[in-house]
Amino acid sequence: MTRPPLLEIQDLRTYFYSRAKEAFIRSVDGVSLAIAPGETLGVVGESGSGKSVTALSILGLVGGNPGVITGAVHFAGGNGASGPRNLLADLERYVSLTKHDGRIVAVAKDEPGWRAHVERALARVRGKQIAMIFQNPKSSLNPFVTVGQQISEAVRLHTGVTHASEAKERALGWLERVRMDSPRLRFDQYPDGLSGGMCQRAMIAMALASEPSLLIADEPTTGLDATIQSRIVALLAELKSEFGVTTLLITHDIRVVSRLADTVAVMYGATVMEHGPARDVLAPGVEPKHPYTSALLASLPSTQTNGRRHAVDGRLPVIRGEVVDTMNVPRGCRFHARCDRITDAIRARCMGEEPALATVAAGHRMRCHLHPGEARGG
Amino acid sequence: MRRYRESTGEVAERSERSRWRAATLTDRAAIGYGLLVVGLVAVSYVLGAVGWLPDDPSRMDMARLNAPPGAGHLLGTDFLGRDILSRLIVGIQAYFLPGLLAVAISLALGITGAPAIASIIAGKIQFLRQKSFIEAAHVLGLPTRVIVAKHILWYNCAPLLIIQATLGMGEAILVETSLSYLGFGVQEPTASWGNMVQAGANYFFHGKFWPSTAPALAILGTILGFHLLGDGLNRLLEPKSAS
Amino acid sequence: MAARELALTALLLLGVSLVVFVILNLSPGDPFSVLLEGQAPGHAARASVHEALGVPTTWYGRYLAWLGNIARGNLGTSIRTGVPVAGEIARAGPNTLYLTLGSLLVTLLLAVPVALYSASRAAGALARGLRLAVYLVSAVPVFWLGYVVIYLFIHRFGVFPLLSGSAEPARHGWLYGLLPIVVLGVANGTVSEVTRHLRGELGRVLTEDYIRTARAKGAPVWRHAFKEGFLLPMTEMIASKIPFVIGGAIIVEQVFNWPGLGRMVWQAAQDRDFPVIMGIALVAAAFVRLASLLRAVIYAGVNPRTATD
Repeated sequence: MTRPPLLEIQDLRTYFYSRAKEAFIRSVDGVSLAIAPGETLGVVGESGSGKSVTALSILGLVGGNPGVITGAVHFAGGNGASGPRNLLADLERYVSLTKHDGRIVAVAKDEPGWRAHVERALARVRGKQIAMIFQNPKSSLNPFVTVGQQISEAVRLHTGVTHASEAKERALGWLERVRMDSPRLRFDQYPDGLSGGMCQRAMIAMALASEPSLLIADEPTTGLDATIQSRIVALLAELKSEFGVTTLLITHDIRVVSRLADTVAVMYGATVMEHGPARDVLAPGVEPKHPYTSALLASLPSTQTNGRRHAVDGRLPVIRGEVVDTMNVPRGCRFHARCDRITDAIRARCMGEEPALATVAAGHRMRCHLHPGEARGG
Repeated sequence: MRRYRESTGEVAERSERSRWRAATLTDRAAIGYGLLVVGLVAVSYVLGAVGWLPDDPSRMDMARLNAPPGAGHLLGTDFLGRDILSRLIVGIQAYFLPGLLAVAISLALGITGAPAIASIIAGKIQFLRQKSFIEAAHVLGLPTRVIVAKHILWYNCAPLLIIQATLGMGEAILVETSLSYLGFGVQEPTASWGNMVQAGANYFFHGKFWPSTAPALAILGTILGFHLLGDGLNRLLEPKSAS
Repeated sequence: MAARELALTALLLLGVSLVVFVILNLSPGDPFSVLLEGQAPGHAARASVHEALGVPTTWYGRYLAWLGNIARGNLGTSIRTGVPVAGEIARAGPNTLYLTLGSLLVTLLLAVPVALYSASRAAGALARGLRLAVYLVSAVPVFWLGYVVIYLFIHRFGVFPLLSGSAEPARHGWLYGLLPIVVLGVANGTVSEVTRHLRGELGRVLTEDYIRTARAKGAPVWRHAFKEGFLLPMTEMIASKIPFVIGGAIIVEQVFNWPGLGRMVWQAAQDRDFPVIMGIALVAAAFVRLASLLRAVIYAGVNPRTATD
């Protein structure tokens, strides 16, 4: 990365606790990511890989307990005059961890104190410097307020515009930019009267209206009809070339990522397995490649015959085994039980020692014993 | 400061702690008290029906009028020298069966707070219909009736129904005691907690608090027991909504 | 739609009046026995009283006659005092209105802060203590609490908070109402349910997706959660708990000798004064119905979906 990153996440851990099982649900278990200004980073992974929780952790929107327990989120957005700020600064003052064998087994957290502390820090950032859009756009908009008023609210909160009429004009402008049909009509409608795709356009308008430095898109196409999905992706691509907003795009849909992302991070079992330029990570057959990423790409249904591994006997290739249980994280590599590249020579190592996120090529890091690269920790 | 500790051993092997063991001390105390009250009421109902009382509720002990708890009368006597404890036990007859009946009807038909409970259940069904696990159940081939009965009514509404039953009983006690206090329910000399409070009223202002207060405390303790039971069970059975 | 609501209201009032009338006629005793006090209540004697008063002999006949009067705006006259019922209700009505609305306010003053606090902090010793306190308060029999309060005021403060006999509140009469209002507000038995409902709804709304969006947007959460999490549940509670408060008012007016409709209807029940009872029942039903209509109006105003009907 030549320019200093706009957002840098270091060793983030967000845990939840199951009283029934007396165990931690390690939803985000040591995630490190960085996004350069203007870049679109796509984070892909299966459900339960921790990608959404990572995004929520950045903005302090995590619901359960104990929540975020360790890590740093350096953000350089905003006025930029002063250097990057750690949005999770002083977290260690409110949390104490007990480890056994290098593994966290107990957590003590002063939740009210931490809440009060972090709300102040995040108040300047939420909606203003970092904006977020969610999946299920219909339920993510306030059903009791018109769409236009919700966008105007964002304008008034974050752009210094105070007059209702001027805020309305700005909001209408954004509705046009997201290619909403009949913006003036839609402005006065409630989310109930809009389709899922239109609601998502409205949410995008609402997020961009405050002119943020970073946009976090959490599964923006999930839950929409297939044809609408591609339209939203096209919209996001257009907005990307028009405005160049730095974006953290979270999705399980590899086609979306390949269309929009500059860099890709692949998550599995609550941690990052591979992180590199999109064309390298997503191109099948291009080495070096993480076994999980390979398997993921191979399992995609495809109507093209561009060298992808074809289905054998009419069946799509699947990754054998079951998704790792975040309550019961295995020692060693989290993917080793399902890995089809594992060899006897290396098995003991894969089972006993978790590989570090190491650099295997320029700007390309991987967590795999098969590609040891140059370990820099992570 | 909240503390969380992971217990040792393989997580996968662990079975879920029973809901009772996972419940907080307060909830257990609430449920315990509630069950105690329900038990006492039921036992007292039977005792009253059969006539196994410490004393004859109509017998007037002229030597001891408005007496405080003491020898011969565990809870003292009222203004006519009648044993308060016996009258309290007998007083349960006034609301027990009517209360049960009212609760049974309201559960079956959703009548009490009628529009409220009926619409709450209807609302729940509507809301749950949209949840994907219902779709999943459909896809798995479960017929709609079974889905409604098992998944919606029992798993989701059971807590609601329990609350309705306990609240209903509490309401029934409230209504009966109020009516008999006003003179429209059970009439003297038959005992009802409501008319016992009313009878002791005059003496209250002359410093004899007990004849009115004993039945009032009985009402308080009993309604409280039903409410705590309902609340405690509700919290226990609630699908894991993280506190 | 307004016409439909009006028709429904009329039907409701009709139904209530019929049910009350039937219950009155099924209960032992009737107004005429009161007049026949001292005389042998034989069939002939009763018939002669009926004839003298020009009253139909069958119960449904009497009901229809009453309906006819209602249609002409006449609520009848009290059998005991001979005074027109409408006048009596107009005289005592405002006192009960004051009592009812005041105590509703007290109930809300208790329930709302507790609900707001518990919605934000589900656990903790204070939250648990509050929950218990709320349940305790809801289980207290209102009549007994009245005695305790009156006794305290007589014994401790030497202030006599009662109105003697049927005296009307003088200039500072409303002060006398404060005590019954507080007692009824605290002990009408609904505090726990109101608290629970408010807390439950607010807690639920706070977990909704659109609130998460509001947080992510940096918008004040209370502004977005207000309609569904506070206004609507409050309206629902007020409308549905009014019947309980009305019932409690009858008791409290007794205990505090408050000259309202509650005391009047109790006295009328003792005297089997049917016209008075019927008139008050009608007024009470109308009041409950009004509250229900107001709730529907607020719901429609807030909820965009119903507004498009």
